[in-house]
Amino acid sequence: MNAPMDVDVSYYIVLSTVIFFIGVGGVILRRNPLIMLMAIELMFNAANLALIAFARVWINNAGQIFAFLVITVAASEAAIGLAIVVVVFRRAKNVDVDEVAGLRG
Amino acid sequence: MSNDALVLLALWLLPLASAILIFAFGPMLRRSAGVIGSGAVLVPFALTWVLAASALGTGGLKVHLFDWIAGFSFGLWLDPLSLLWTLIITGVGGLIHVYAIGYMWSDRAIARFFAYMNFFVFAMLTLVLSDNFVGLLVGWGLVGLASYFLIGFWFFKPSAVAAAMKAFVINVVGDAGLMFAVFVLFAATGSTAYADVFAKAATLAPATVLLACIAIFIGCAAKSAQIPLHTWLPDAMEGPTPVSALIHAATMVTAGVYLVARCAPLWDVSPEARALVGTIGALTALVGAILGIAQWDIKRILAYSTMSQIGYMIMGVGVGAYQAGILHFFTHAFFKAQLFLAAGIVIHALHDEQDLRKMGGLGKKMPLAFWAMTIGTLAIIGFPPFSGFFSKDAVIYGALERGYPLLSLIGVVTAGITAYYMCRMLFVTFLGNNRGNVPDVDLGIPAREHSEPHFGESAPAWVMGAPVAILMVPSVVAGWVVFGGRWNALFASDFAPKPESALATVLPEWLVGVVVLAFVAWGVAAAYHRYGSFDATVSAVERLRAESQRMAQPLVRAFYFDDALEALFVRPARAVGSAFMRVVDPHVIDGVVRDVVWLAGWIGREVRALQTGLVRGYALVLALGAAAFLAYFALIGASR
Repeated sequence: MNAPMDVDVSYYIVLSTVIFFIGVGGVILRRNPLIMLMAIELMFNAANLALIAFARVWINNAGQIFAFLVITVAASEAAIGLAIVVVVFRRAKNVDVDEVAGLRG
Repeated sequence: MSNDALVLLALWLLPLASAILIFAFGPMLRRSAGVIGSGAVLVPFALTWVLAASALGTGGLKVHLFDWIAGFSFGLWLDPLSLLWTLIITGVGGLIHVYAIGYMWSDRAIARFFAYMNFFVFAMLTLVLSDNFVGLLVGWGLVGLASYFLIGFWFFKPSAVAAAMKAFVINVVGDAGLMFAVFVLFAATGSTAYADVFAKAATLAPATVLLACIAIFIGCAAKSAQIPLHTWLPDAMEGPTPVSALIHAATMVTAGVYLVARCAPLWDVSPEARALVGTIGALTALVGAILGIAQWDIKRILAYSTMSQIGYMIMGVGVGAYQAGILHFFTHAFFKAQLFLAAGIVIHALHDEQDLRKMGGLGKKMPLAFWAMTIGTLAIIGFPPFSGFFSKDAVIYGALERGYPLLSLIGVVTAGITAYYMCRMLFVTFLGNNRGNVPDVDLGIPAREHSEPHFGESAPAWVMGAPVAILMVPSVVAGWVVFGGRWNALFASDFAPKPESALATVLPEWLVGVVVLAFVAWGVAAAYHRYGSFDATVSAVERLRAESQRMAQPLVRAFYFDDALEALFVRPARAVGSAFMRVVDPHVIDGVVRDVVWLAGWIGREVRALQTGLVRGYALVLALGAAAFLAYFALIGASR
């Protein structure tokens, strides 16, 4: 039987998918690293939403625990990412990721 | 364990303990190492006599050491055969150790010398006391190693190092043969113990026995300097003289005789193996004697005579006259050790001069060496009643008796040649006038390097004299053990009693003895005619120079055995080696490595374009990859 839920799980999944692809689009299309970091956050949170929705469906707390893990990872990622952005800005005096291509082979 | 077992263990391990002790504390012990080393051999000699009674009892004295896996049980076995060898190893070996104290007196490395010598005695005892083939093989390898150490003892001489390597390599050929024999016997009988193998010997397929015998004999030929594996023995004379006396005359080179005698049950059932071994032995006796004629180095003459006499022994045990072959080993150990030690006294006194042509007239200066050499020569040429007479006659008559008249004839001829070259050595060394001050060129000696003479203080003369004097007694009387038939009875338990019907009495034994003596007399007379009557120094010098220059090439080149081995094995091996160096190594081994390096570089160059450094590009690829992954599982993976 289905979990006791007022809203069908498919709505959550659709919403999660939409948010995720907004994030993907943001990372691929935008050239400002700050915006890109925010887009990554969007993807994390889309994943969180899906995890929690499925946790609810299957009555399994593992999904919620994963969500907490993802939040932790997202926090560290933001901290490191912002630090990198600051360092890059200091050296290159601009914040266009396409200009920062020192690793080209 | 019984008391006898403990005594046997003690006499076996004492030389090893002494070797380790001397090796560890050598610089502190110096010359006292000689006393310790000699004691560690003479005490086992005394202990062996203690065990004689139980060794001669039924089945001999057996000591079980430990079991490994099924079929591999290790132990010691003292029976009449190994008892005899143990007595010679420790008795003659002990005397040679005492002699070596004097001979090596002024050598810096005297302690190392005695450590090696004791190690050799331990290895040789392992060889003869083992009650199984694996223990034998261990001893067999260790004596080869000890021989290598001692031939190359003076490692600053390039010739000594080369001789040591040659001896070791040829011995390893023999080791491989012997090891193969052990594999064959183990596969056929499921055991490596002598008792088990010999119990089943009669039931084995003749081809198996023949194969095992041939493989065993390859080992014997290498160790005992039988043709064509004999070429290392003359070169081995580079070692110090006591080494030549102990290892390359009295004991180690007779290991092949021991092994054939030990494996008598195998040879008893394989007539082909008998004929083969007897023939090789006889040929070796003949070739060794002929080559002995052409040598000028006193030790090389003795080396070829050793080879020749071992040929007699191998012929004796090969044709099945085991008691005769062993008797010849027994007497030979005494008189050959004595000959070497007497030669050592001469060499020592002349400061490492070994060339006969530079000697002459030494009889008055060195009476002990002269008499020792004379008695040893009389013994080796088989002059009655010296010891060699009985043993050589026994071998020659034994071959005739067992239906090998041709081998017997070779033995008779060889006896004559032996008399000739031994007397030649004796006369040229000790008779006439001294030629020490005659220049090399006048004597026909080719240009040679003079080794640095090491003049040092000398030991008291009795240290070297006493062992030689003691050895004279058995050199004369050792052959008398045949009287009363006790010698043959001694080994009755080892060798199946010969079926009397198989023995053909072609000629009475006394007649064979007379024929041999006639040949010997001819040899002595010829030698005396050519060398015994050197009257004045001048004529002696001219005759020696003429002989040096006219020596037949095949004799000088030792019948081209060395050249043949060089052409057949050394050069092909070197060619294979250099082919590997020129083709395989640079193009295959190194080539693979180089190709791998080039491949990694090529891949790097080709795929570097993918690294654009554009983060958004990477993100796109990542997203597309994830999409492809999802698509796969959604469309294809799900349908499975």
